[in-house]
Amino acid sequence: MLNADLIIGIVSLVIAVTAWVPTRGLTLLGGVFVDYTLIVLASLSVVIVIKGIAKPEKLRFFESVVERNNILIGLAMLLVYLVFMPKVGFLPASYLMYAAFNWYLSEDRMKTKNIIISVLVSLVVVTGFYLVFRNVLGVPLPKGSWFD
Amino acid sequence: MFEAAFLGLAKVFQLGNFFCLVIGVIFGIVIGALPGLTATMGLALLIPFTFTMTPAMGLIMLGGIYVGAMYGDAIPAVLINTPGTPAAIATTFDGFPLAQKGMAQHGLVAAALASAYGSLLANIVLATSAPPLAEASLKFGPPEYFWLGIFGLTIIATLAVGSLVKGLLAGALGLLLSTIGIAPIGGDIRLTFGYTELQGGVELIVALIGFFCLPEILSSFIAKRQATYSAEKIIPRFSVVREVIISLLKMPVLMLRSSAIGTIIGIAPGAGGNIASLVSYNEAVRWDKNPKEFGKGTIKGVAASEAANSAMAPGSLVPLLTLGIPGSPPAAVILGALMLHGMRPGHELFSTHATTTFAFIMSMLLAAGLVTVIGSFGSFLYPRILNIPARHLAPGIIFMTILGSYSIRNNILDVWIMFLFGVIGFISNKLKFHPAPIVLGLILGPYVEEGLVQSVLCGRAGGSILAYMFLRPISLVLIALCILSALWPLYASWRSKGKIGEKIL
Repeated sequence: MLNADLIIGIVSLVIAVTAWVPTRGLTLLGGVFVDYTLIVLASLSVVIVIKGIAKPEKLRFFESVVERNNILIGLAMLLVYLVFMPKVGFLPASYLMYAAFNWYLSEDRMKTKNIIISVLVSLVVVTGFYLVFRNVLGVPLPKGSWFD
Repeated sequence: MFEAAFLGLAKVFQLGNFFCLVIGVIFGIVIGALPGLTATMGLALLIPFTFTMTPAMGLIMLGGIYVGAMYGDAIPAVLINTPGTPAAIATTFDGFPLAQKGMAQHGLVAAALASAYGSLLANIVLATSAPPLAEASLKFGPPEYFWLGIFGLTIIATLAVGSLVKGLLAGALGLLLSTIGIAPIGGDIRLTFGYTELQGGVELIVALIGFFCLPEILSSFIAKRQATYSAEKIIPRFSVVREVIISLLKMPVLMLRSSAIGTIIGIAPGAGGNIASLVSYNEAVRWDKNPKEFGKGTIKGVAASEAANSAMAPGSLVPLLTLGIPGSPPAAVILGALMLHGMRPGHELFSTHATTTFAFIMSMLLAAGLVTVIGSFGSFLYPRILNIPARHLAPGIIFMTILGSYSIRNNILDVWIMFLFGVIGFISNKLKFHPAPIVLGLILGPYVEEGLVQSVLCGRAGGSILAYMFLRPISLVLIALCILSALWPLYASWRSKGKIGEKIL
């Protein structure tokens, strides 16, 4: 069980301090609004921390182990996609991401039919969007530094 | 004037022009519905094509795109909790809960009809009283923008779920996020931590996708790994259109008030559809007999937001057509189109080019009608998206969020920011710290900051900062509204005989 208010208050205080340090050298015009905002942010954070100590609100973060594992796997897949996209290029990375998620969310993952469907749908959807964004809307998508 | 309006209307009904209008509306709906693509982008994309057209045809098409996009952004807002453009942020508050209750079609029809109504009303205002309203809009100076921003921030009292202090804290975090980048006045580089890409600030649509869409994908699709998004198959019904029309007819005050708010905010140069929809939503909650219905899925919330953001579009054209001051970013692109065709804003537009100008205004009026038809028929199609198996839908949405975030500035850092905000949004939802006020702070931060700093400068030059900020007539009205809005939760709490302290802390 987590003390939600205490976590929110402390994280907000850390953010306020992190923003306070590099904004000390600003001019009056550039810094006046930042200063007011940081004062309000820090004050409210202290109130929340006090509330978290005096009247804690305990919360369960994940409802089950399965939910936690699913979220962590999903986030890891997204993270891998974002790390590799600028390196291998938008198109190959997106084919892999789409097919991987499609396969992961299917019910009978080990069936050959489902794997083939995941790959084929990935090829069609990603290629379709790629062509629209690149050729119609003129958005230059990452090519991939490994192949430059 | 009436003759020119009639001739303009006749021009819109010419076959080629009407065809361009229909194409424009459909293109606008598609652009609006794709997160990451905005009405501004859609208009900018098509401007080169209008160069080969007659001025009337080109402007008619652009008018269609603008009106279409203002409705299109509601589709993903209702279906997947992602506003297609920032103007649909308030549509998500009730649109998405409606979809979760299996009533996505209700939300989509309400959005289409309210959009059409707001647009229609604002167009009538544009056609009949643009010049005097434009004069009034010039009375809006820095203090008025500051107080308008502060008034907008009082919406936190409505958006804060459970605790007002947590809502205010989230709002302050949003304001801090809005300061990232180059200061609007002074030019200081703030909180970029060495990333030159951050000098342009945090892109609003990236924050919206991150805070609203990614957490929903994580908690609905990935965490539960369910076969389809909704447990029951969604089957759109014809009777829903009739039901929604009857419901909307029963709320004339809400519709009129929301359209008026959208029009007025549109006329004030600089304030966009996102502020219009948020202010309108807040007022809808404030004056409703059952405010607790909001946020849980009511068409009143969708109607308030959509009527206002669609009314903002013609409203933003009032200062543009009469004074050459664009009231919103899309209006600035339309100004470019006018100049491209040799039409200078001002008296000339309503004299020398009166027929073309009124053809443009009438095209937006007719586009509102087209939105009603396309939106109502589309409501049979769009909700079926939620019947698509999750294994196909979820990666598709993830893919769209990444494309949408990237395409704003063609910058991979924006995708990372979206991902980071998505994770923060997921965690904060779990901790009952709703991210809506963060986004509100991000939206209103620049208005409040510019208003504050400019007021300080002008006040100093004039001899008294306090007199400049507090004693101007429109400022006084806005200050009164701010006080009223800030104290309203206490009054509402007292009225419902609840415990005030519970809501505040």
